[in-house]
Amino acid sequence: MDADEEAYILLLLSDSNLPTGSFVASSGLESHIKHGFGNGNIMTFVQDSLGTYARSALPFVLDAHRLLYHHINSQDCDLEFLVNNLVALEELYDSMTLNHVARRASKAQGVALLTLYTKSFMPPSQSSESLERLAQFFSKYKTLVRAERAHGHLPTCWGVLTAGLGLSAERASYLHLFLHARGLLSAAVRLNKIGPYNAQQLLLHQVRPLVTGEAEHCRGMTTGTVRTAPDLVDSELFEAHRQGSANIWPLGEILAARHDLQHSRIFNS
Amino acid sequence: MPPSPTQEIHGGTGRITVSSHGLKAVFSELSAAYPLKLLSPRAFENRVAIVYLLSYGGGLVSGDQVDLRVHVTGEAKLVLLSQGSTKIFKTRPGRRLATVNGEQIKPGTPSRQVISFTVSQDGALFLLPDPVTCFRDASYHQIQTFHIARGASVAILDWVTSGRKSLGEEWVFSQYYSVNEIFLDGVRVAKDVMLLEDNAIPTASGTRRTLAQRLAPYACYAMLFLIGPQLQTTIDHLTKEYESISVMKTRAPEHLIWSLSPLVTGQGSGVVGAVVRVAGKEPESVKRWFSSALAPIAEHIGLEDVHMK
Repeated sequence: MDADEEAYILLLLSDSNLPTGSFVASSGLESHIKHGFGNGNIMTFVQDSLGTYARSALPFVLDAHRLLYHHINSQDCDLEFLVNNLVALEELYDSMTLNHVARRASKAQGVALLTLYTKSFMPPSQSSESLERLAQFFSKYKTLVRAERAHGHLPTCWGVLTAGLGLSAERASYLHLFLHARGLLSAAVRLNKIGPYNAQQLLLHQVRPLVTGEAEHCRGMTTGTVRTAPDLVDSELFEAHRQGSANIWPLGEILAARHDLQHSRIFNS
Repeated sequence: MPPSPTQEIHGGTGRITVSSHGLKAVFSELSAAYPLKLLSPRAFENRVAIVYLLSYGGGLVSGDQVDLRVHVTGEAKLVLLSQGSTKIFKTRPGRRLATVNGEQIKPGTPSRQVISFTVSQDGALFLLPDPVTCFRDASYHQIQTFHIARGASVAILDWVTSGRKSLGEEWVFSQYYSVNEIFLDGVRVAKDVMLLEDNAIPTASGTRRTLAQRLAPYACYAMLFLIGPQLQTTIDHLTKEYESISVMKTRAPEHLIWSLSPLVTGQGSGVVGAVVRVAGKEPESVKRWFSSALAPIAEHIGLEDVHMK
């Protein structure tokens, strides 16, 4: 993919008109403010939310991206192998996302991304073998999600969508975090917490180093192979665990889970 | 005989195997090596066994490792408790840093604890220790894995405080890393991984957000998993109470907040239990909250109160 092509895909995916349903998600911001935490600077919420989301979701974005990238570029492509691995990866994400509000929001946005591919990004005609493989995969996976045999979570679906469009894993992570942060700021505008000019100012100056830093920090992360039981106290085991997904903000979890308890609310999460 | 330095590092291995014989709970294994100590007082309810998880000096120091395996079979009900909070020291007071094979343990090496549990079909596990308290600069890693059969009952409480408030410590430990992974009939139903440390990513102005800033105003965070028939009353009660909460806009954070999410398996088809999270401004208020929330459990296992021992 050349630079022009990549730039065009990035523009397309960062369009706020993209029908992903993200406009109904505040990722816990509405509940945060309602619970009396919104008196300080909005950037502290953005930083904490972005930090914990990066650390819990990016290993899944990266692994899903790897899986699909391997599928398109390997000689012996095995659709079943890809699908089974992706289903297992999503099972892990689902069992790690214990907050039911976040789980619901993630699934709603994930399936929207799959629909986006099948309805909008599918290649017009069978132009090449790898594009055909992609078309096959996305149709099959969407059917599985519809049949509730796969979860269709946001990070994993973002990983396969971006790999399918030819973006690198680094670009995919970076854009994912940017969109998360932008979503928070646009929710903050709708909640009347900040003005629209301020939101753009923050996006340009304050959000950028955070997105860059978090993406860099999580660069090599992976969910790892699934281990069922620790055999012995060994450093390798601890290290294997530590490179994976983690929740670093328990306060955010509680507040986000309490979203549905709000007497009145305008967002779905 | 004082333990040799090698034991001090590689020791800490423990085994608990408990089963039921008629109305009695019987240990077929109950062993522990330094720095772990297990103590089993008499229990008074049928099929209940109580074990206190203790450590020498009341806590763990840098380099300490504990590896414990726990098996609950038959209809036994195992209650695991601690005596006061588990303290994580940077170094043990009055001792030099431990050495292994003549090499000194590097400062900053975490204290590590790995516990695996199996609970068979009619068994029950009540893991209700006091919270972990990490002192200034201390580092603690804990991995707990639970393999439970359908029909088994488990209550798992895992909590951490901000440090020694009397010494002005508020979230100033170096790192707290805790994993709780639960398999039900071999299928993973929950994996909670919590990592608490200062932020690594600087802001535009070059400052880093500290852990204390991120977790304020609370000084204690707790997590509780409830699964199985013996916990159903507690789950129903808490769910009802949770659903009756209606949040209006408040000016300042409440003293204590909690959340409850159903624990689901597969594609969200079956609810197998509940996950509760609690945060409080003082560990004491969180303790009181649990005493009340877990009152049905306390009665079930014959304790006056799970956290006011």
